[in-house]
Amino acid sequence: MRIPADHEHSAWKGNLPFGSFYTVGLAGQAFFEALRDRGEILGARCSKCEWVYVPAALFCERCFAELKDYTPVAHEGDVVSFTLCHLDLEGERLDPPDIVAIVRLDGAQSVLVHRGLGDPSEWSIGARAKVRLRDDREGSILDIEGFELI
Amino acid sequence: MKPNFGTPLSSADIESGKVFSVSYEPRLEYAWDTGPAIGRYLQELKNGRLVGRKCHKCDRTFIPPRHFCELCFRPADEWVVLENTGTVNTFSICYVTWDMKKLTYPQIPAVIEVDGASEGYGILHLIADVDPNEVKVGMKVQAVWKPAEEREGSITDLKHWSPLK
Repeated sequence: MRIPADHEHSAWKGNLPFGSFYTVGLAGQAFFEALRDRGEILGARCSKCEWVYVPAALFCERCFAELKDYTPVAHEGDVVSFTLCHLDLEGERLDPPDIVAIVRLDGAQSVLVHRGLGDPSEWSIGARAKVRLRDDREGSILDIEGFELI
Repeated sequence: MKPNFGTPLSSADIESGKVFSVSYEPRLEYAWDTGPAIGRYLQELKNGRLVGRKCHKCDRTFIPPRHFCELCFRPADEWVVLENTGTVNTFSICYVTWDMKKLTYPQIPAVIEVDGASEGYGILHLIADVDPNEVKVGMKVQAVWKPAEEREGSITDLKHWSPLK
């Protein structure tokens, strides 16, 4: 019996059904309630390490102590780093590029990652930036619109 | 310090918005390159037949087909069309599905040694249309195919195996 010499099945295609559901945890709950209800950026202080984590964390990453001392930090801080993203997740070109910014808010030792706002060409490391909040907040990281340069 | 055993949550806590949460369903699409041997295997399943590869040096015919003889460490030599019949090498009777649903009539996964392939060479598939108590190692079975218009180049083009009549 003759068998055809070529085939069309060069790839097996499929998709993996996968879903995740994440509750924000005790410190996350405190952080998002402060953000939604009072417009505060809440950190958690480790007095032993003299370190303030933003967003608030349940444990100190340095000494593993439980953190209970919540403290709001400033809405302003230093641009530690940023990335201009010229492609979206699907590989489509973005014009202007998205800005992903890393900012150390005054009073915090850790950094907060969020969208950068404004003209990408004006962003620089060491610049001062501040948080822009939404008015209709619901307890999500998107209650922060992003960082804008001062 | 007291050990932290976590914080109990109820569905109501989440549904009422008392506890903040994030849900996410990523799009996880993949394409697995079948290579020449499995690509041809799938094509032939669509044609409604089982094929193997034969190595002339060790005189083995294997299914699923591989392009390479792993014993002789050389390319296999030819394609061989196998029979629509085979022998049960081993089997299991499952009254629970993969997602833990109870079954009245069990699924019977089995390794079928396909006639025309060397002894001991076969594929994992399903046996159906049989009294589960009658399934035995060594039982002769035949392939039951989907109608040609429903076949798509998949191992499920072969619906199942049933006792040889």
